[in-house]
Amino acid sequence: MSYVKVNQFAKSFGDVDVFKDIDFSIEKGEFITLLGPSGCGKSTLLRCIAGLDNVDLGTLLVEGENITDLAPQQREIGMVFQSYALFPNMTVEDNVAFGLKMNGFSKSKSRLEAKKMIDLVELAGKEKFYPRELSGGQRQRVALARALVVRPRILLLDEPLSALDAKIRKSLRQQILNIQKELNLTTIFVTHDQEEAMLLSDRIFLMSKGSIVQQGKPEDIYTKPANEFVASFMGHYNLIDADVANQWFDISTSDKVAIRPESIYIREKGRQYGEHISIAKPGVVLSHQLLGNVIRYSVEVDKQQLTVDLLNRSSERLLTKGAPLELMFNLNEIQPVRS
Amino acid sequence: MHNQNLLLHKTVVYGLSTLLLIPILATLIYSFSSSWGATMLPDGFSIKWYSQLLTDPRFIEAFARSLFICISSLILAMVLVLPMIFVIFYYYPALDKLMNILILLPFAVPPVVSSVGLLQLYADSSIQLVGTPWILIGTYFTIALPFMYRAISNSFSTINLRDLVDAAHLLGASTTKAYLLIILPNLKKGLLASTFLSFSFLLGEFVFANILVGTRYETLQIYLYNMRQTSGHFTSALVMTYFAFIFICTWLATRFSRGNE
Repeated sequence: MSYVKVNQFAKSFGDVDVFKDIDFSIEKGEFITLLGPSGCGKSTLLRCIAGLDNVDLGTLLVEGENITDLAPQQREIGMVFQSYALFPNMTVEDNVAFGLKMNGFSKSKSRLEAKKMIDLVELAGKEKFYPRELSGGQRQRVALARALVVRPRILLLDEPLSALDAKIRKSLRQQILNIQKELNLTTIFVTHDQEEAMLLSDRIFLMSKGSIVQQGKPEDIYTKPANEFVASFMGHYNLIDADVANQWFDISTSDKVAIRPESIYIREKGRQYGEHISIAKPGVVLSHQLLGNVIRYSVEVDKQQLTVDLLNRSSERLLTKGAPLELMFNLNEIQPVRS
Repeated sequence: MHNQNLLLHKTVVYGLSTLLLIPILATLIYSFSSSWGATMLPDGFSIKWYSQLLTDPRFIEAFARSLFICISSLILAMVLVLPMIFVIFYYYPALDKLMNILILLPFAVPPVVSSVGLLQLYADSSIQLVGTPWILIGTYFTIALPFMYRAISNSFSTINLRDLVDAAHLLGASTTKAYLLIILPNLKKGLLASTFLSFSFLLGEFVFANILVGTRYETLQIYLYNMRQTSGHFTSALVMTYFAFIFICTWLATRFSRGNE
């Protein structure tokens, strides 16, 4: 049985459907992303899961319990907002302890639990600060701590990184991912940023015009787009008309074909592509990150940890942890640098 | 050119300020002078007019009545306006436009006209309202409304009301708790500033007080009006006491509206 089950969710404002026929399941500890352009209904769907908006149709089950008609207070769902939504009149400590107090925890117990959570988001020493005295990244970490301290069954993240600058965004998304894995939190993340979705998610639900148009692992969505919308949204796919594709590639299709830019090799006319200047070294994959068109591997060679970027040419080449490989070093690319 | 402009601006500002301050200063000196008749300067200084004023039971009673009416009106305004603005901003934001028109109505009708209208309306009422403080409290409430609505709605627009209440709900708070623990403390600045401003405005209001209640319930304004025939020194002391009180209220309002900045 799935941990979270969304059945036939539908909502409309007047005659306009915000979303319809939304149907999906999430396993315990999974990190799910609702990805899509602005206005596709992803944030409203998230609000409906939180109970902040009502659905017109459908049911929401968490651990088999139907919580569709429960008030937000009774759902045990935590949420982090794009605007942080920190209480301006309260210190960091009071913000984080608020949920515990509302749930009947004693003052001392609330303080203790809040302290633990503040330490987890690496804000120790900022307990007595007010939100206005913190940076954007720190505020969002307080919001995360506040949502987590009540031990929610599901954590909802509504574009939590979009108001932050690129550098803070990168470090905070890694922190979110680490905490999510550490606490084994079932998480639903909403974003319009495909790179963020690819980096963080176990599975992506790609939405367009109120429907889920494709769902699956990031690498599947990226390499096997179900339709033209997915292909255009997920990267810089080259879309080629069917008749041209049939002629070029000697195939028979009535659909457009999509070709990722990095899957096309360039060969300079007349140039020799020898490997005589390369040196091979055996190594083992430690981890990989899919950055969209690039796969970033961490590889161990002779106890040295190296970062290697590879163009994401096809899913078959995705090497997982422990996979043996050989690194080819081009002698022309080895650059001595002074200390 | 720039310096010339600055000089001109300074001259205008200081000149105007002096012009406005002269009557107040003269009243202040007059209120402290024992007698000031046919001579250029007062014959002597004394605080006897102030001591006479502050020991006059009629003044103390009028002052207490004014305080009662102003504070009651403001409490009534607060009790009604605060939840109303919350409901408007949280549930029916479109109504804000309508409210902005409604709150201008008390200013659109001149006090003389509306007080005559109120007299006519309540003259035949089975409950005796004309001549009692209650009609004045009701009227002052409508005058305080625009000040309070504007200031508090400004405070509302500086906070992200919907997200704050939603966050509180998800953390287990009821709407009432969210309102009391999160929203209300963030309105403090606007609320206090508008309360003190309305208070100083209402304390000096004369037209409604005179026409609707008059001497039947003597407030500070009516007392001041009735004492106009007595010693000028005495009324000067009265006016200065009144000014000092209003000044303190306005100073407090400015202080609170600046907040923690």
